[in-house]
Amino acid sequence: MGPDSDLAELMANYQQGDSAAAAVLVRRLSPQLHRFFLMQYVSRTHADDLLQETWMRIHQARHTYRRSEPLLPWLYAIARHVRIDHYRKQHRTQSREERIDEGFDIAAASDAPGRTPDIESLLGALPESQREVLVMLKVSGMSLEEVARATSSSVGSVKQKAHRAYETLRKLYPAMAADAPKGEPA
Amino acid sequence: MNDPEIDRLLDRGAHAKPEPDSALLDRVTGAIGSSLSPVRPLAPAWMLSAALVLWCAAMALAGGFILKPHGVQHMDSVQRLAIFPLLGLLISLGSAVAASQMVPGSRRVMAPSTLALCACLLLAAVFGAVFPDHRLERFVPEGLKCLTAGLAQAIPAAAGMWWILRRGFAVDSLAAGFAQGALAGLAGVAMLELHCPNFELLHILVWHIAVLPVAGLLGMAVARWRSARQSA
Repeated sequence: MGPDSDLAELMANYQQGDSAAAAVLVRRLSPQLHRFFLMQYVSRTHADDLLQETWMRIHQARHTYRRSEPLLPWLYAIARHVRIDHYRKQHRTQSREERIDEGFDIAAASDAPGRTPDIESLLGALPESQREVLVMLKVSGMSLEEVARATSSSVGSVKQKAHRAYETLRKLYPAMAADAPKGEPA
Repeated sequence: MNDPEIDRLLDRGAHAKPEPDSALLDRVTGAIGSSLSPVRPLAPAWMLSAALVLWCAAMALAGGFILKPHGVQHMDSVQRLAIFPLLGLLISLGSAVAASQMVPGSRRVMAPSTLALCACLLLAAVFGAVFPDHRLERFVPEGLKCLTAGLAQAIPAAAGMWWILRRGFAVDSLAAGFAQGALAGLAGVAMLELHCPNFELLHILVWHIAVLPVAGLLGMAVARWRSARQSA
């Protein structure tokens, strides 16, 4: 039995009210969901909150999963909207000045000479939609079709976003690596 | 830097991220377990779409016949053959879009806004081709009557759609609201084509087609109001 069919089986048991299956799903899927949030400029505390909120929505929507369909797009469609809602709420509550300051800090951190280029500064250079697609494809290991389903877009649009993300990273990385102090790994 | 190096960097970055706390996972499991009961999986998407198509067709026919089908009686066969199959196609497509909006991770049919735009353009093209009457008499009063009748027809249509899709889960409630509103608007347009005997091109282009986007925007407004109420 493959990992996907295994997850589908667990999900079907969860729908039937099996608490052990629910617990196994939480243990198995939470690390990748948590990583998905953390890799999109979300703090650890917020990632914990988002993970908890995602599971509450999954629980609420569990009857909408159909065994004949892949599980990951269903799961990530919910997770990405939890993140989008969080982002909107944050935007509503944050003052304009704070946002400008934050934007400046990110840019300054990315361009600071002598700083080792890391995943945050690289992904920070990408627009949100490209970053999200890249994380789903490369970190969560989803296929193009699965990412298209999770993001409610077409496979062509996912390919284009991934292509543009790579293009930006290829252009950006040499400049950042050159800024890094000698001897530090790039 | 080449693509495999970027992949390696992403992989390294992802694995350097901290795992969620065990206590957090226990809390989540506990919260889920406390309200866990068996659930019946949602009906397949094709079944939801078919139910929506049937409902829209029934509403349009009922509305058209209650208000008297003067429009379809005065149409020639070319006009009938051009308009009603197109409306049927758009309602089928709209139903598939509205159903997919209520199931997370569904295969995308089309964005609701794209569908509404394409539907308006297609209807305008067909109406432009089959209605040659360019007169403009009592444009606003007659038009407002049709717009009101179309929107009034959309309300029960939308209520039935809400009932059909009530077990779904909209991850993007605004898009889902717009999709359902626009579909209800299409039922309103179909009713107007059955009923309205005014064949002036501009009347049909402006006031009949307007039912679709206006109903879509009303659907979105209702969805926004509902989600604001839920989060309050």
